[in-house]
Amino acid sequence: MEHHYTVRLEPLGKQIRVQAGTPLKDVLFPYGVEFPCGGKGLCGGCRVKVLQGSVSLDDEHKRALKKLGLKDPWRLACRSSVIADVTLEIGQFDTFILADSSPFHFHPRPGYGIAFDVGTTTLVAQLVSLESGEVVAVETDVNPQARYGGDVISRIEYAVLQQGADELTRLIREKFAAMTGRLLRKTGGTPPEKILIAGNTVMHHFFCGRDLTPMASYPFETPHGDACRFTAEELGLPADHTEILFLPVLGSFVGGDILAGIVATGLDESEDPVILVDLGTNGEIVVGNRDRILCASTAAGPAFEGTNIHMGMRATTGAISSVALENGEIRIHAIGNEKARGICGSGLIDAIAVFLEKGEIDAGGRITGDKERLPLTQEVFLTQKDVRELQLAKSAIASGLHILMDKLGYSPQDISNVYVSGAFGTFINLTNTARIGLLDFPEEKIIKMGNTALLGTKMLLFEDGERVDRILRKTAHLSLESNPRFQDIFADNMMFQVED
Amino acid sequence: MEDILEKLTIAVKRGKADKNSPYPPDMKGQDGADELTAEALKMGFTPDEVLQQALVKGMHLIGEDFSAGRAFVPEMLMAAKAMKAAMKHIEPFFRSGSVKQKGTVILGTVQGDLHDIGKNLLGMMVEGAGWKVVDLGADTPFEKFKGALEEHPGALVGMSALLTTTMVNMKGITEKIKAMNPDTIVMVGGAPLSQDFCDQIGADFYSPDPQGATEFLDGLVQSS
Ligand code: B12
Ligand code: FES
Repeated sequence: MEHHYTVRLEPLGKQIRVQAGTPLKDVLFPYGVEFPCGGKGLCGGCRVKVLQGSVSLDDEHKRALKKLGLKDPWRLACRSSVIADVTLEIGQFDTFILADSSPFHFHPRPGYGIAFDVGTTTLVAQLVSLESGEVVAVETDVNPQARYGGDVISRIEYAVLQQGADELTRLIREKFAAMTGRLLRKTGGTPPEKILIAGNTVMHHFFCGRDLTPMASYPFETPHGDACRFTAEELGLPADHTEILFLPVLGSFVGGDILAGIVATGLDESEDPVILVDLGTNGEIVVGNRDRILCASTAAGPAFEGTNIHMGMRATTGAISSVALENGEIRIHAIGNEKARGICGSGLIDAIAVFLEKGEIDAGGRITGDKERLPLTQEVFLTQKDVRELQLAKSAIASGLHILMDKLGYSPQDISNVYVSGAFGTFINLTNTARIGLLDFPEEKIIKMGNTALLGTKMLLFEDGERVDRILRKTAHLSLESNPRFQDIFADNMMFQVED
Repeated sequence: MEDILEKLTIAVKRGKADKNSPYPPDMKGQDGADELTAEALKMGFTPDEVLQQALVKGMHLIGEDFSAGRAFVPEMLMAAKAMKAAMKHIEPFFRSGSVKQKGTVILGTVQGDLHDIGKNLLGMMVEGAGWKVVDLGADTPFEKFKGALEEHPGALVGMSALLTTTMVNMKGITEKIKAMNPDTIVMVGGAPLSQDFCDQIGADFYSPDPQGATEFLDGLVQSS
């Protein structure tokens, strides 16, 4: 019988039983822990505090810790595996600022601030000392609206077609008050100076109690996207005199979370043109520099989350998260070192790249040789329809980028950096992402950023409102359907490059 | 000389529009649908023979491949482009009345929705099956369907929706179309739809792909 150990996660209080030798990365990823440098031991973003017990520590791991200036009891999750019962404190979310190699400029000011990221699926809030820039406390939870549908359109449906808007507003505000209340208990009675909240357009509208009808149908232009100010009282918080602000929408489905992403990546201050891509269901993209910024939502769909894929699943235990070719043989890695039960987005991208390499998928995406299935393991396989779903999703992103770059007169060579945000983005293999034509840029230009909404919101705690205004002034939203060539571009980008 | 019609069928199915077109790479430099159609007509095949025995056949073959997952959006669009190149030569005969289309199908993406690629593919297939297509574009309210139905009495209607928030608009439009004339056939489609939904809103036909729709349409012609 295999040996199992218990991993306890603080402050979540979660206990997980895993097999001996399971990489910590696999244990933590399903809980939203991100790996900013892709798990290479370079950034320290995945550091965890060992409160009790121990995790593996080899020489490479020791060297990485030393380089990052981390001492006991810190460990890098991406370098560790489970060798005993262990209790970990997740150091995530206080690391981006500190671990970011580009120094995070801020003017220390007295007091505290709270950065709150209202995601469609998860909520994260950080209490930040404005003096030191340090994160004092973190709260995470799932979005209580999720029971009314996973994606934004189903929430809109519930609000508009079933008159559920008030209910969804109540749910999110209550959860906000509860999480914020817990953070406030840690300030020793000092009310925070500022609470900044970021979320996509739909989250913005629910939180602020704005009418969602315009987001339910064409032309999806909302008149209610401006920043929204609250008093503490309105949101049921004890703290008064606190400035509470929900960041404004950039346009249509591109919301304040992406605005925060622009701040986090410094896109609005960059001389060279850069790109920000969120590889989520809405697939928001931003292209520009300090002079001019264009944004759009590409509606890639949920294929990268494993949805609509025959054996697709989220990145949890048993999901194939990467696939590689070794001496012509397919090698898979399943999360948790468990038997593979399905495949998640990062595995899907790898699998398609590998099958293209083997000539089992052709340039048009067809499975060659009259096969119905492409096996990855005894149980897990891809179907023809899976390949088609991936083609739609990757082409949506690639076509959107093509159209925005074209509009600004840039060619791919002009782009100095491509920032990828979102938890999924941190797990992808960049060679394969380029190989399948999802992000066809040289690997060294692509930077995985993790949760840019949270980072940007946190950075904005240290600024006055002007930066947001400046970004709004130079940013325009482009509706991709307005491009008469969309259909042809979309079809072109569905193809794969194949050497003959 | 049946050979030329066979060549034309293949040119349409493979999406070879004309001699200069670089697609598909393995047919570089060969005659495309444009040249082959002109040649077939010159050789004395009637426009109707060219249409039925080559163009319709080619589109049917690509439709089958699409339905089975062997072809996808790019291949379908290329085939449609090849068909369009051939149709240029046939269209004058539609107007003169020497070639008859099977009927008229009015297409539109439903009110509130902008997704039109699926609807466009359907249009190409229906046209390729020998029907006249009147495309009302995206975000189509009932009034536009009404106007088109008045202009083309006896036409069928095909509606597409890709959003769960807009597919519900199909119900009202279908009801109003049926109120105008209960015999007007309404077809619906789009990724979030299902046969159940079609039944619920009182539409006549649903298919997950265009091939199903053309077969349904052909069935109507045969039974009438
Ligand atoms: C391309 C695309 C777009 C393009 C549309 C361009 C255009 N001119 O059509 C753009 C980028 C503009 C777009 C926009 C939006 N989109 Co969009 N889009 C897609 C995407 C990637 C592919 C859709 C598609 O073209 N499929 C290919 C065609 C060929 O398939 P099809 O339409 O289903 O048609 C086939 C069949 O259904 C059938 N058929 C179709 N109609 C009919 C009719 C009849 C009568 C019959 C018989 C058959 C039939 O035949 C076709 C061939 O088989 C999907 C996601 C995905 N991966 O599928 C999202 C998707 C449809 N979009 C979605 C959404 C929500 C949007 C937005 C409203 C919001 C957003 N950003 O996410 C925006 C609005 C943007 C704005 N202005 O801000 C959602 C819908 C979710 C839902 N629950 O309803 C999807 C599923 C993505 C997601 N977020 O999950 N989108
Ligand atoms: S150091 Fe572990 S992810 Fe970067």
